[in-house]
Amino acid sequence: MKQDHRGSWYLLTGALLGVSFGLFYSWVISPVKYVDAPPYALRADYKDDYRALVASAYLYSGDLLRAQDRLAQLKDDETGQTLAMQAQRALAEGRPEVEVRALRILAMTLGGGVTPDTSGVTPTQATTIIPPTSAFTPTPLLIEPASSLTITLQISPTPLSTLNIPESTTIIQPVRTATPSPTQGAPFVLQETQLVCNINQAEPLIQLEVKDAAGQPVASVEAVVTWDGGEDHFFTGLKPELSLGYADFVMTPKVVYSVHLADGGQSVDDLTAAECVTDDNSRYWGSWFLTFVQP
Amino acid sequence: MSRWTKFLIAVILGTAAGLFYGWVVNPVEYVDIAPESLRVDYKSDYVLMVAESYQVDHDLGLAVRRLALLGSSAPADIVANALSYALQHEYASQDLSLLQSLGEALLTWNPNQEIPTP
Repeated sequence: MKQDHRGSWYLLTGALLGVSFGLFYSWVISPVKYVDAPPYALRADYKDDYRALVASAYLYSGDLLRAQDRLAQLKDDETGQTLAMQAQRALAEGRPEVEVRALRILAMTLGGGVTPDTSGVTPTQATTIIPPTSAFTPTPLLIEPASSLTITLQISPTPLSTLNIPESTTIIQPVRTATPSPTQGAPFVLQETQLVCNINQAEPLIQLEVKDAAGQPVASVEAVVTWDGGEDHFFTGLKPELSLGYADFVMTPKVVYSVHLADGGQSVDDLTAAECVTDDNSRYWGSWFLTFVQP
Repeated sequence: MSRWTKFLIAVILGTAAGLFYGWVVNPVEYVDIAPESLRVDYKSDYVLMVAESYQVDHDLGLAVRRLALLGSSAPADIVANALSYALQHEYASQDLSLLQSLGEALLTWNPNQEIPTP
């Protein structure tokens, strides 16, 4: 009688072939398709577009809760910080001024709790109280695009009490009351200029601290530093571990600098790298610390 | 049970294990998706944001470029779809009005007049 000594290896071979086929099918031929993806899965540049869009929409509506809800979908670690950095990148990349401004305003609002300055915009909604039963006049919208699809939509006003809204669009009717803000829009003024000697700081810096009228640090404030033959811009809020209102710029020794905030106000001139002296007469670079406040 | 039968059963079990691993345990992850793949409610909210932004900048070309990220459909179609969704889900009337304004503006949009953005 013939005896088979091949064992059960053929079973393992079959299983491996099956696993290989299964993985090939599930990863290559028919991978999982994310057709209902959330915003946080967007590519980084699309996330930038999304943030810019949220900021721009916020300029119109002034609805901070809605802006926060939208930004939360991106699951950024530090929303205000991310916006501030994007504003800086947008400025450096020469993006449209309105985009940079929108990002700055929203970053500032989220970072410092500052009432946004939406002047210069023509907000019809931000200053209008929408009654619960809107007086919206329905008019038919007939859209006839190039394709054969023709859609006629009749809009009818809907009482807010029957709202049934999707998850991502939390419609919040904000209480649109005037916010007392006597210093809103007032330019920051220089409160103090101080030479700071820190032996652990190797390079001479121009350091800024910007505070609002309540003494709270303000993020996303643009500062302009100029010198003979050059100019640079930097923003507060990029080193939140120090302060949301903090920004710094590395000086080159023997170069004379002037600093002012981009929204106007007082200029600080004739800043040069200054030396500090230790007890044993060794020298190191000090930094100029400028404090700007909103009166 | 013959060897071939056992072999085929092993292949089937292996395939099932592979599919389970590939689809459930460790599926292909799309972490860098385009707005086109967003869920319909997010897409509608995206269009609403475009409509709100349009009220600020009145730049129809910019609105069209933003809408183009949502797919290859005509911009007016995209807005119409969003408006349809908004109606079904009873968006606030001012949001419907914004979408309608954008949709109407797009009816007059002529891509040939668009100045390309560098």
